[in-house]
Amino acid sequence: MVDIGEAERPGSGSWVLVALAWIAVGLPLLWGIWTTLQKAAVLFR
Amino acid sequence: MAGPLSRERIVARPGFNRWLVPPAALAIHLSIGMAYGFSVFWLPLSRAVGITEPVPCPDSMAFFEHLVATSCDWKISTLGWMYTLFFVFLGSSAAVFGRWLEHAGPRKAGVVAAFCWGGGLMLSAFGVYLHQIWMMWLGSGVIGGVGLGLGYISPVSTLIKWFPDRRGMATGMAIMGFGGGAMIGSPLADLLMKHFATSTSVGVWQTFLTLGIIYFLAMLAGAFGYRIPPADWKPAGWTPPVEHRAMVTTRHVHVDQAWRTPQFRLLWGVLCLNVSAGIGVIGMASPMIQEVFGGGLIGLSGVPLRELGTAEKAQLATIGAAFAALLSVFNIAGRIGWASLSDYIGRQRTYFIFFALGTVLYASAPFAGRIGSVTLFVILFCIILTMYGGGFATIPAYLADIFGTQFVGAIHGRLLTAWSAAGILGPVLVNYIREYQIERGVPAAQAYNVTMYVLAGLLVLGFLCNLAIRPVADRWFMSDTEVERERALLRGAPSRA
Repeated sequence: MVDIGEAERPGSGSWVLVALAWIAVGLPLLWGIWTTLQKAAVLFR
Repeated sequence: MAGPLSRERIVARPGFNRWLVPPAALAIHLSIGMAYGFSVFWLPLSRAVGITEPVPCPDSMAFFEHLVATSCDWKISTLGWMYTLFFVFLGSSAAVFGRWLEHAGPRKAGVVAAFCWGGGLMLSAFGVYLHQIWMMWLGSGVIGGVGLGLGYISPVSTLIKWFPDRRGMATGMAIMGFGGGAMIGSPLADLLMKHFATSTSVGVWQTFLTLGIIYFLAMLAGAFGYRIPPADWKPAGWTPPVEHRAMVTTRHVHVDQAWRTPQFRLLWGVLCLNVSAGIGVIGMASPMIQEVFGGGLIGLSGVPLRELGTAEKAQLATIGAAFAALLSVFNIAGRIGWASLSDYIGRQRTYFIFFALGTVLYASAPFAGRIGSVTLFVILFCIILTMYGGGFATIPAYLADIFGTQFVGAIHGRLLTAWSAAGILGPVLVNYIREYQIERGVPAAQAYNVTMYVLAGLLVLGFLCNLAIRPVADRWFMSDTEVERERALLRGAPSRA
């Protein structure tokens, strides 16, 4: 194992991968929150 | 040569983007978080034999006959034991396997968790198909429960090491997933059951099988997304704070020593008391709002729940479910919100807020009921639930601050036994105090008052535990040689990731 101490800054290409990874987990989570909020909306009618 | 799951194969290369790790952790936590949503199966499973109506078992049937009976339906109370199994096995497997995880690495732990949780659901599907409840308990409850424990702690240590500058936020992101898993899983399961239901099946075994496959794949993807940073890695441009912070150590306590310290016992108390109070409320949220306000929820002020007709009660049940749903949103918001805030104000202060503000809010709930203010009641409990979630999400960073990062995953695993204990203590307290009040003739609308004061009392105890936490004494810390020896055990070549 190489002890690199301080990191190299991530390449710009890696941010595309980061965006895709967050979309993959974020969309189902947002769908779940939206569905739950719709159910909760009854409370405010 | 090290296998693809081994720790040394997942050491990140220079230039790796650390923001890829939280979504990997979220993939696992969102999958195992479905454990909270299992109640969506209870009604369909309670008529799995009768399809349209439950077929009750004869009263004379013995317990063991129930376990293998195929001619009559399971009671919802019997199915509810699944939650007990979940939380007992979650806590105990996290405690037992935490040490192994530190050496095996998060990827191997994540893959084992995927096999346990996904495989457990598939075994449950077979159990539902054969109508054998013991197979459901074994599949989802025991094997799945082990998967919950392993999956829950798998990313903690890794995230804390990737985000030394934002420990709270990093673990908060993952643990938010455990709170949010049921929000995805419950409606998805509902859709799947409707899709698979026929005149001869309620569609549950097919749903279990489908979910088992989906969660297995999602968790595998998460596990293979894990990378660990090289030793002493720090983010580009970040330098550790130079000022001395007494409650944040730069040294390390061994897991086998940590649990012997007074700090561990106090933190165990902090987590257990915070969770006991919150978990008691979660379980009773829906009936509580209905009983406290009765007809006041639908414009019939002063009419108690028992005097309402069937149609009005159905309306109230819908409102109760809406209240529970709203609380779950605040639960996950609190996980990321409070944990992130703790990076700025410190962990001990964050818990001081939970306990002090929580005490005031719990003690104010009876007042909100007395004046008939639904809005105030809802606001109080929404804030309480943010602190319940925040307590879970902030504790790993608190542990890292107190005991160091070397064994934080394993120490966190052992601390989660507090969750198992709270899972029993909280609901028991709330249910028994309420029943005792009703037996003594207290109206249902006021039966929760004493409960709220008792829960506020628990938080006062939690406040005192938190107050007593001091930095760990020097004698508990590992020497530099011991730390180096531990790290040498973990050392390997960087991956080609």
